[in-house]
Amino acid sequence: MVKKQFAFKISLFVFFTVLCVLVLIPFYAITLASFKPGEDLVRNGLNLSFDLSRMSFDNFIFLFTGNHSYFTWFFNSLFLTVVQVALTLIVSATVAYGFSAYEFKGKNFLFICVLLIMMVPFEILLLPLYTLTNNIGLMNSYSAIVLPGIASAATIFFFRQYLSGIPKEIIAAGRVDGASEYGIYMRLILPVMKPSFAAMAILNGMNSWNNFLWPFMVLSNSDKYTLPIGLKTLLTPYGNNYDLLIVGSFFSIVPIFILFMAFQKYFIDGMTAGAVKG
Amino acid sequence: MKKKWFIMFLVLAMATMLGACGGKSSGNAGGETSVMEGGAGENATELSLWTFVELHGQHFESMLKKWNEANPDRQIKLNVTVMPYDDMHNKLSIAVQTGVGAPDIADIELGKYPDFMKGTPQLESLDDVIEPYKGTVVQSQLDLYSKDGTVYGLSTHVGASVAFYNTEILEAAGVDYKNIVTWDDFKTAGMQVYEKTGKYMGTADTSATWQESMLLAQQGADFTDDAGNPVVNSEAMVKGLTMMKDLQDNNVIATIAGGQPDTEEAYGEFNAGNYATAFMPLWQMSRYTNYMSDLAGKIAIAPLPVMEKGMPRSFGGGGTATVVTKTAKDVQLAKEFIAYAKLSLDANIDIWDTLGFDPINMDVWDMKDVTHNPENQFVKYFVNNPFDVLNEIKDEIQLIKSTPASPTINNILCTVTLNEIFEDGKDIKQALDDAQAQIEQELK
Amino acid sequence: MIKRFLYSQKVAPYVFVLPFVAVFIIFWVYPLASSFTMSFQKVTLGQETQWIGFDNYSKLMGDGVFLKAITNSAIYMIFTLIILIPFPMLFAVLINSKSMWGREFFKSSFFFPALTSVVVAGTIFRLMFGEMDTSLINSVLGFFGIDPVKFLKGQATGYIALLVLATWRWTGVNMLYFLSGLKNIPDDYYEAASIDGASKFQQFTKITMPLLKPTTVYVLTISIYAGLAMFIESMMLWNGNNSPKNIGLTIVGYLYRQGIEKNNLGYAATVGIVLLAITMIINLTQLAFTGLFKKEEN
Repeated sequence: MVKKQFAFKISLFVFFTVLCVLVLIPFYAITLASFKPGEDLVRNGLNLSFDLSRMSFDNFIFLFTGNHSYFTWFFNSLFLTVVQVALTLIVSATVAYGFSAYEFKGKNFLFICVLLIMMVPFEILLLPLYTLTNNIGLMNSYSAIVLPGIASAATIFFFRQYLSGIPKEIIAAGRVDGASEYGIYMRLILPVMKPSFAAMAILNGMNSWNNFLWPFMVLSNSDKYTLPIGLKTLLTPYGNNYDLLIVGSFFSIVPIFILFMAFQKYFIDGMTAGAVKG
Repeated sequence: MKKKWFIMFLVLAMATMLGACGGKSSGNAGGETSVMEGGAGENATELSLWTFVELHGQHFESMLKKWNEANPDRQIKLNVTVMPYDDMHNKLSIAVQTGVGAPDIADIELGKYPDFMKGTPQLESLDDVIEPYKGTVVQSQLDLYSKDGTVYGLSTHVGASVAFYNTEILEAAGVDYKNIVTWDDFKTAGMQVYEKTGKYMGTADTSATWQESMLLAQQGADFTDDAGNPVVNSEAMVKGLTMMKDLQDNNVIATIAGGQPDTEEAYGEFNAGNYATAFMPLWQMSRYTNYMSDLAGKIAIAPLPVMEKGMPRSFGGGGTATVVTKTAKDVQLAKEFIAYAKLSLDANIDIWDTLGFDPINMDVWDMKDVTHNPENQFVKYFVNNPFDVLNEIKDEIQLIKSTPASPTINNILCTVTLNEIFEDGKDIKQALDDAQAQIEQELK
Repeated sequence: MIKRFLYSQKVAPYVFVLPFVAVFIIFWVYPLASSFTMSFQKVTLGQETQWIGFDNYSKLMGDGVFLKAITNSAIYMIFTLIILIPFPMLFAVLINSKSMWGREFFKSSFFFPALTSVVVAGTIFRLMFGEMDTSLINSVLGFFGIDPVKFLKGQATGYIALLVLATWRWTGVNMLYFLSGLKNIPDDYYEAASIDGASKFQQFTKITMPLLKPTTVYVLTISIYAGLAMFIESMMLWNGNNSPKNIGLTIVGYLYRQGIEKNNLGYAATVGIVLLAITMIINLTQLAFTGLFKKEEN
């Protein structure tokens, strides 16, 4: 019996190790590629050949010292992500508090709207949003990217669930002390919500950092590009950009990797927040 | 408590910053890498330029320097944005139609050009600025980018199509490219090459129509009839593709990664010596020097094979027009600059020197010191001098019409039809009939 | 006075939810409504808009390319459901078992692909699936004596490339969903079952699967949505929106092609409305079947 269990243990471990290797191969391949000249990639495709004579730090040197816009894009992405996360969290938390703390007319209807927009593919709104953005003159601006997302349905939903676990007595006590409705939220509720912010910050941060299609449609000026858009513009046969593309792609994963290693728990909480109730 | 207010303050500050960023429209590119100064002083006008070929920027940069020297009171700085082909044309199309976010100057590729000519073109007429250069440049290249007699775009090159032969492979197979005159010669040579070396003589293109254009031009035919209606299932088309298919069946040509010689995958295949021939417009030269360094000294240029001796041996393929948008900051300045940068004799010499294109001012073709300059990177790279070939075929360069239907025709052929024929072996007539029907449906 | 009004307990909740209402109206209701209107119009930027009734819809019905796009999206969605629900569920159960070593490590490494942007991931996979015999996948095939495959030029192989990309990116995420669902199943259920002599397999089908239902429904809902709305994966894999014979064209890809590439916004809006209808119908049916609504009522 013990033997059998041990065999199971071993085979389970081997099975997952194999899977894990498969999952990590693309990362390994791109890491290798970032040390190879771009033309190798164009000629041979991405592969695992390990040829020290073709490998060097040239791409990394070019990444950090070359004449290109990579770090402009990088910091644009960083800036947009920080702004987007901060605004989304504040706005969504406020809305969630409204839904959780009060009974008011139209509440159910509005909450159904929250659930509904989780089910509408954002993609179908692209064109009308595009014309709208154009008409109000927000083309090529960051506002056009940030604003549609500030009341994020998933985030509202999560915060509401979280708030439903906070005793209503806090609010009542606040009222007795003579605090205003907004004072209660700011001084009593927000501090209690703190732990839930980390998970949502990570979830929204991830989405924002990798957001592509809508920013891609809105932004037309190279100085304003975010990292994914910038990297995509390198994908042209008339640019000879593969050196930068691959090392840039590699480098774009690094910050998320570090954050992920540091805040693993919150990443996982954030990702799974929608799936489980409470 | 203080901390919380601090956070609130931060958020507000960021929101304000965001608003500020949003308020400013395009062109706040202070000190960006993409700004070309060209020796411009403090008072230079900054113009924005979109292109899809990074190399075009180099040409503009050297012309910019000369312009700024010659016009100290009207100096220019260029803010160049390079975007991938599809993205740039999509964005530009929307921007000029809505009048928001368009650059001052842009490059438009011939295949997309008709889209910008629909209705009332939202581009500036260039008739006045080309006046001084009329007669020095090929008229047909001006006509190519005009509508109702008004020129809206300035051509970059003639794009005379030629054959690029890899002499190393041919020699290994005992073939002399100089003896290839007709497609039959090409077939015989190709079979020999495949037999002796196992390499393909050429490519069967699926994602571009250079080959179809070349075969139609030889037969004096076109993708559209005189009224501009698509006729992709014409007899000439069937005949041409049947011949190509026969070459493919005999292992003379084969499909290539990327689908045509002008893709990054294909550069790799050619560079590795897997294909001996490319039939491409002359501008493919710059792809050789830039992306296929291993082939230096091995590539020879020759006229295209023809179906029967005496047929025209070239056509003008591809092309990029430089335009000025209606929303340009300083329309007159932009117009004069592009006329100078594209049409002047200096410009045409530079177009050959830095880009390796066949300039539209044909006088340059006869300037031996320019065309045969031993220091020129293109002269150095190729086995024979391209202008020797160009001058030989000078009077045979046909033109494929660019019509409102062209983008659709091109799209259907390149995504569907050519793949069906060369990858799936679908019946040629059937594939072309389907294409014709689909094109008509989409143009409705 | 105004301050008093705004600070009253009656008005405060509306102030709190106001941002949502504003965003909802400006960025959802208005565009949706305008999408709907546009679907009855011929909208071309730079030209007068014309009312054309149901023309767009009737044109769409006979549009072979649109049919191709719908087929592609549907097949992609169905296969993602087949692959990305059972396997992650199984992996979650296995990884959760007491006999597992290095649980946290495996969890993290499976999750990691989800952190890369589609642009980067798509580029990596495009180059891995390259048709040269030296590209990663073809060199593996070559090791087994199989000739190089032109993955991105064939229909079936194109789907394979898309699905491998999706599997790579989402297995770990879905596994995490199931893991968090598993956390809510009390251990004593299993203890009681094994005392009753239930096999591991019976425990899985009788306890784990039914109790994971809410999680499964959630994963199903977002997978249907994500499958039908897939676009960028295809755009990156084929380096553009034009794949050979449209093998990679999706519904959103067609919307993008008509709206952005061809300046045919009315027609593109019609594509969007049809996509909305399909997503809503499938998801509402699915939710009705899986009984989520009943549960909400209780």
